[in-house]
Amino acid sequence: MTYVKQLLGMFFLVIAVCGGPFMLYTQKEEIVFEPGNIIVHTVYLIQQIAEGSLGTYYSGQTERSIAEDILPFAISSFELLFASVSVAVVASIIFGLLLQRFRIVRQFQKVLNLLATIPDFILIVVSIVGAVGFYKLTNIRIITLSPVSDSESTWFPITLLSIGPTIFLMKVVSLKYAQIGGEDYIKTALAKGMGIWHVLIHHVYKNIKPFLIADLKKTIAITVANLFIVEYLLNVVGLTRFIFSKDGGYEFNAAVMGLLGIILLSILVYLLIRLILYVIERAVVYK
Amino acid sequence: MKKRFNLSLWLGSIFVFLLIVIAVAGPYLAPYDLEYQAKLRHEEINGKQSMVSPPFPPSEDHLLGTDKWGYDLLTLLLHGAPYTVFITLAVAFIRVLLGTWIGLYIGIQDKEQRWWMAIENAWSYMPVFIPVYFLLKGININSELPTFTLVLLFIGLVSVLGIPSVASSVRQKAEQIKESQYVLAAIALGAGRNQIVFRHILPHLKEQLIIMMVTEMIAVMTLMGLLGIFDLFVGGTKMTFDPLLYHSITHEWAGLLGSYRGFIYSNYTWIFLVPLGAFMIAIGSFSLLAKGLRDKFEQTYNRTPFI
Repeated sequence: MTYVKQLLGMFFLVIAVCGGPFMLYTQKEEIVFEPGNIIVHTVYLIQQIAEGSLGTYYSGQTERSIAEDILPFAISSFELLFASVSVAVVASIIFGLLLQRFRIVRQFQKVLNLLATIPDFILIVVSIVGAVGFYKLTNIRIITLSPVSDSESTWFPITLLSIGPTIFLMKVVSLKYAQIGGEDYIKTALAKGMGIWHVLIHHVYKNIKPFLIADLKKTIAITVANLFIVEYLLNVVGLTRFIFSKDGGYEFNAAVMGLLGIILLSILVYLLIRLILYVIERAVVYK
Repeated sequence: MKKRFNLSLWLGSIFVFLLIVIAVAGPYLAPYDLEYQAKLRHEEINGKQSMVSPPFPPSEDHLLGTDKWGYDLLTLLLHGAPYTVFITLAVAFIRVLLGTWIGLYIGIQDKEQRWWMAIENAWSYMPVFIPVYFLLKGININSELPTFTLVLLFIGLVSVLGIPSVASSVRQKAEQIKESQYVLAAIALGAGRNQIVFRHILPHLKEQLIIMMVTEMIAVMTLMGLLGIFDLFVGGTKMTFDPLLYHSITHEWAGLLGSYRGFIYSNYTWIFLVPLGAFMIAIGSFSLLAKGLRDKFEQTYNRTPFI
């Protein structure tokens, strides 16, 4: 029951947010604030859903059906999100936990922490500038802006998207590593002569895991925030297409569907990552 | 204990001070008028007459170059600086002020406030940028409102939407302090709510509030930059059709960054790099200040571990 309640709450939050342009607009030199307008549009949206269609949206000059496009768009957004969050989780476990005891890894993390003071979107923009400059110098293309190009590469957007969450999650994990490393039970385990890998997996990992899971949600939130920028700047055809139309017009139905889709995708990514962690744990930790 | 020289604090303070000076004096220091456009001209190069047209790369005439339409970039930046800096300061100040008030009020309640926790929870996963984008979308582009109204509206919106996150961290701290022995003692001695807040909780939060203010400034600048990327510029967007272009009315830095982002892919990369540099320096100085303050307070309250 609580899940249904939460989903409903989410739906209304999305509608309230997407209704912004109807709620607050200008007429001549006056600001109009009319929350009632949202209800009209919402009723229309629900009617359309009840009829079995999701409405239409404009891509340039052509009118397209949302229901037809939402699946391929969602799949490409999902690929980006899932890959980036996985990179963040794997990198923070490997570098924040397993290899943290090597000095060179800690130095590398200091550099990353320095990078973390720069906002993610600036890092993304700078990487694009870098990629363009690299192409001008060497003629090697790492960035494709045309969504219909046959040399479409997904690794560049994935790399850009994983910068933010990786820095965040790695920081969390290595901070906890430093705290847990000083605990008495680690000392005891080492004094008993247990191997370092054993201690890392059975003592440190098990204690870091709750924090890793708790911050996984925040990590996904960061990734989603960056997803908007990466898809928009790199012309990736994904769910954000529905939300930010590049030629000025605003479409309520499409925005609601896009935002809802992204929220559902992030829940899916969260569950998948939890599942993968569980499977790996069964295989490695609790053999 | 030996005091270490705090480089970040010094550098950060100096840079932030310089930023404020630029924001105050910028429009008077600008080398050209805001409306000045460098025109196409003929020049003699190697004995041959040839035509040069804007954009002009950085040179003696134009220290940071001009944009595609011949406007001097340095002039634009100096005229935009007051908006960037003072809007950032204003929003951060309002957020911290109201956030502290709400956070304290909710933190010292005896019972947990369910409704507030729900707001906090939902809001922590929503990037603030999304609601701000949708709310501004209807008013910001080709608006007939005066720039000043638009700026005030932006400040109001961004402040209000950012309050829950500030209030949340103040609430957590207040709840911690509320449980401490000296507060219990004060309550036992008959201290009222105001006494506890002003005498016991606020003095403890002082340093955190200062740091929070600086980090909020970074957050606000980031938000402005993000909105700029999506063509919503603080103080109004002027949209021209045929070709479809977006211009910042106030020439605020994040706005310049957004409106020139197309030049990443051109041969005139400096048009984009100049506002990017200015923006990064501004954010960098706030980050340095935040780091410096954090180090300073850590030094003051540092307790050396036993092991």
